[in-house]
Amino acid sequence: MNTRGADEAGALETLGRSSGPASLILSSLADGPKHGYALTKDIESFAGVRVAPGTLYEALSRLEAHGMIEAVESQDRRRPYRLTATGATALSTYLQAQRKVAEVGLRRLAGSWALT
Amino acid sequence: MTPSEPASAPVDRAEDSGTGRDAPKTRRLLLWYPRAWRARYGDEFAELLAADLADLGPGWRRSANIAVSGLRTRLAGAGLTGHPLDSAAAARAGLAMVAACGGAAALAGAAMWAQLAIGLQWSVAHERGITEAMALMSAALLVLPVLALLAAAPVAWAALAAAVRGQGRQFRWPAALITAGLVVLVIGGRHFENGWPGTGGHLLVHQGLVPGGVAAFGWATTMWITTYWVHPAALAAFPATQLGWMLVSPAATGCVLTGAMKLIRRVELSPRAFRYQTRVANVALAGLAVFLSGALSWLLSAGGGSAPLFRAGAIDRAGFAVLALAVLTGAVAVRQARAAARSGLAEAAATTRR
Repeated sequence: MNTRGADEAGALETLGRSSGPASLILSSLADGPKHGYALTKDIESFAGVRVAPGTLYEALSRLEAHGMIEAVESQDRRRPYRLTATGATALSTYLQAQRKVAEVGLRRLAGSWALT
Repeated sequence: MTPSEPASAPVDRAEDSGTGRDAPKTRRLLLWYPRAWRARYGDEFAELLAADLADLGPGWRRSANIAVSGLRTRLAGAGLTGHPLDSAAAARAGLAMVAACGGAAALAGAAMWAQLAIGLQWSVAHERGITEAMALMSAALLVLPVLALLAAAPVAWAALAAAVRGQGRQFRWPAALITAGLVVLVIGGRHFENGWPGTGGHLLVHQGLVPGGVAAFGWATTMWITTYWVHPAALAAFPATQLGWMLVSPAATGCVLTGAMKLIRRVELSPRAFRYQTRVANVALAGLAVFLSGALSWLLSAGGGSAPLFRAGAIDRAGFAVLALAVLTGAVAVRQARAAARSGLAEAAATTRR
């Protein structure tokens, strides 16, 4: 078992084409458990995109397989999901990297184009 | 790390959407996904679909998205794309897919090789490409069965070990399929190889390359791979027993392949045995690539100037396409199986660290 492998296992990039929707799902779950439809509406409200059902559940199943989210016991057919510690760490790492890119981009835009 | 348990986000129209009115549509859409996926996510996915339909109404984009996602999930279940539910299962599915590709390639290859061997029993090939093709194809065919045995041995051992531990129930059906298929193929193949058209050919120097008995057996077991199926009048002239064999032998081959795939999917291999299997698979793929280059050499050489016995027909070109597809698919499956196995190990390491 190498440490690098373990680190990679907790990275959103390992989810391939699902890493985009996965970051939205993890961000949505960061404030508490939600089921599929609630996730769709929440993501639509904060990101302005409506994640299609197939894409949403493809990402959900991969996130669950990677231990980044887990299903919450429910009597309802709409099963809620919650973030795990692995998922929270992965999201934090991903968002910090994104923030660094955003800060550099905005700083350069401000310097060269006077845009903020 | 865990936040206090907040309430679920508001669920407006989903509350009253239910699944009643749209139930037939959601059920149809769910069929794009494999059974295991439906068993795990079916109910909640149907709820989401019903709510989404209530929100946005019917639309082809949603259907297309679900179809693509469902097919990708099925491909993942077959070990050809990422891993859907379980890394270990995906790794085994990848290996099973490699076995299926190897089987398909072996069938197509044996049919082509046996036909070329018939030509070489009766005539001297003047085109260098044809003799080179035979050499390459024969060399590859010599190595591939050895590799198949090397790959089968650890799987059979692991299944036997599990059976000794009293966990062999799950292997009974695959083992019965493999055994029944092999028995039929060996008995039938041995019987029908007597009708090999290469029998009685001239004693030519180059025939040392071609073990006649093996070619005859290969011909007999792949007799059903023929364009005679689209010429019913010609097919009707075949003896009834031969026609029967042409129907039974593909079914027997299917039994062997299905049994092998089921066995590989069910057997628990150690990480070391898994690495060994992927290495054997890579060598086998290289062997198949050599076979493929030989087959290509034949197809390119066997033009209008060739003796009729060496001319490649539509079935040979189709066989080449199957071989090429099997090699490509097998390569993808090996890569996915290794990725899934690595991911499984990494997940286990992450779990341990947690």
